[in-house]
Amino acid sequence: MHWVAAIKASVHAKLLAGYLLVTFLVIGMGAMSLQTISKMSSQGQLLDEAHERVHWSQDIQHALAMQMNFTAMALLLRSEATVENILRENNRFNNTLARLEKAAQPEEVELIQRIRVAQGEALTTVADIANLIRDGKVEDAMRLQQSKQYPLYGRIEGFVTQLVERERSKMDHLRASVAAANRNTLILMAISAATLMLVGLLLGFIISWSFILPVQKAHGFLSEVAKGNFAATINVPNRDEFGALAAHMNHMSQELHRLYESQHQASQELQRLNEQLQQASKAKSNFLANMSHELRTPMNAILGFVEMMLDEIYGEVPPHLREPLTDVQTNGKHLLRLINDVLDLSKIEAGRMELVLAEYSVQDIVETVRTSLQSLALEKGLDFVAAVEDDIPLALGDGKRIAQCLMNLVGNALKFSKHGRVAVWVEQQGENLLYRVSDNGIGIPKEELENIFGEFQQVDTAITREFSGTGLGLNITKKFVEMHGGRIWVESELGKGSTFFFAIPLRMNHGEVI
Amino acid sequence: MSGKTILYVEDNEFNLKMVRQLLARTAYRLIEATDGEMGVATALKEVPDLILMDIQLPKMSGLDATRRLRADPKTAAIPIIVITSFALSGDDQKAKDAGATAYMAKPYSPRELLQTIRNLLPEQ
Repeated sequence: MHWVAAIKASVHAKLLAGYLLVTFLVIGMGAMSLQTISKMSSQGQLLDEAHERVHWSQDIQHALAMQMNFTAMALLLRSEATVENILRENNRFNNTLARLEKAAQPEEVELIQRIRVAQGEALTTVADIANLIRDGKVEDAMRLQQSKQYPLYGRIEGFVTQLVERERSKMDHLRASVAAANRNTLILMAISAATLMLVGLLLGFIISWSFILPVQKAHGFLSEVAKGNFAATINVPNRDEFGALAAHMNHMSQELHRLYESQHQASQELQRLNEQLQQASKAKSNFLANMSHELRTPMNAILGFVEMMLDEIYGEVPPHLREPLTDVQTNGKHLLRLINDVLDLSKIEAGRMELVLAEYSVQDIVETVRTSLQSLALEKGLDFVAAVEDDIPLALGDGKRIAQCLMNLVGNALKFSKHGRVAVWVEQQGENLLYRVSDNGIGIPKEELENIFGEFQQVDTAITREFSGTGLGLNITKKFVEMHGGRIWVESELGKGSTFFFAIPLRMNHGEVI
Repeated sequence: MSGKTILYVEDNEFNLKMVRQLLARTAYRLIEATDGEMGVATALKEVPDLILMDIQLPKMSGLDATRRLRADPKTAAIPIIVITSFALSGDDQKAKDAGATAYMAKPYSPRELLQTIRNLLPEQ
């Protein structure tokens, strides 16, 4: 099997060679059979010929007997007419003898010669007897018959019998040899057939196992690889397609091993990076929490002391100091808003911002915003109205963040308007709340409408300077609205004013918290 | 002076000073502590009428201190106003869970703080 497997030839060629070998053996056996059959048939022919010769010899014996018989009859009837019959029998005798001579073996030719000579003598004697009968000398004829013809015929008879015996013995010999040949042929054929069958089976066995073994090995090998044992190799003696296949499999296993290793490394690297990221994220989150407090503590003192001064806790404030003190307070509050916005955005970006879901009243929110910004509207001489549709039920969400959103939008509207009115309107639309903040301010150019909700986006840096703002308010508002599962958009006409809308679910599902 | 006692637990000198000056003209008596552990110790010793507790303090956080005081029968009933940081979501809820009576976001307005104190603890 290994030897067959190691033959450097394709599976196709090996199968073909196997079949051809068996085919040639079959052809060879057929040829041998044909040869045997033709040999047997020629022996049969020989046997037939021998048989015929025996027949002829018997014919001669018969003709001889008839000659004697007719001679006796001629003597008895004293008629020479019967001599003709003797001549006829003589002719038959000679003809048959000639045939025998033709087919005779060299050692028989001499015997036949003797028979012929004796027959010639016998015929002369017959002629003499016939002459004696014709001359009426029957006594002499009878004597001649007794003295010469009988011994002659006896001799001929002896020769012929010898001939017949020879032919018979030859025939027997031939028959025995034919029978032996038949038996031998049968044995030979049986052996050939058995050999052929064995060779066929053996070839089939060897060739098929030279294919089955590598397949079995491949099966075991693949099972090992499937279990993750990449160190396994497949080793087959085949130098055919199976050998090539095994080489490919080994290569595949190595490649898989390499891939597995690199993937394993990559996944470890990823895990390490992930841990680092988590640590960094946690550090950032902690930093934000600390920074938030650390920034607020001094802001608390600054704004607190200024408020207490303006509240005249330290005594009366001289009129000329009231304005700078108010400026400190205004800017302090602005700085606080900036800090809040930056911290909020950082938290959102870090994914650490979480909504605190609770029930809240939309009316309360609008009222809070209205009272907070009333004074600013009054200062700027703007008409500020804020109203809520009647009978809006309690909403569920982060009320503080929604208030922050509304505060941002209304704060912007007041900031960017120099006259006219700023209106807030909230209504329920099915499952949603629609907030609307409209102004008669400077408006937003069409090309800016899309960018306005991005980070640090303000329509114009000059406007930023004039109106001041962090540029983060709308971005934070958008993020909070989206965290509530809502959306925000704006409609605006340059120079005529803008209307901001945001729609959020009236009641957020807890599962929706982003 | 036998005014009502308020304990302010705060580590920032200026905020302490501010509240000190805010309450100077009132009838309240202010006692101070500058970290969480000291806050708890002072509260247990002095048993004030109201406590102002900053949320972020050295040694022990304001929330832990609040929980300690709530757990002690001597101080369990004292109103505690926790000063939270607005930007930290859930601070209000954490303060409530720890047992705060009220909470104020930093920076607070002194005016509003005084009003809250007066609501919880009438001056006279």
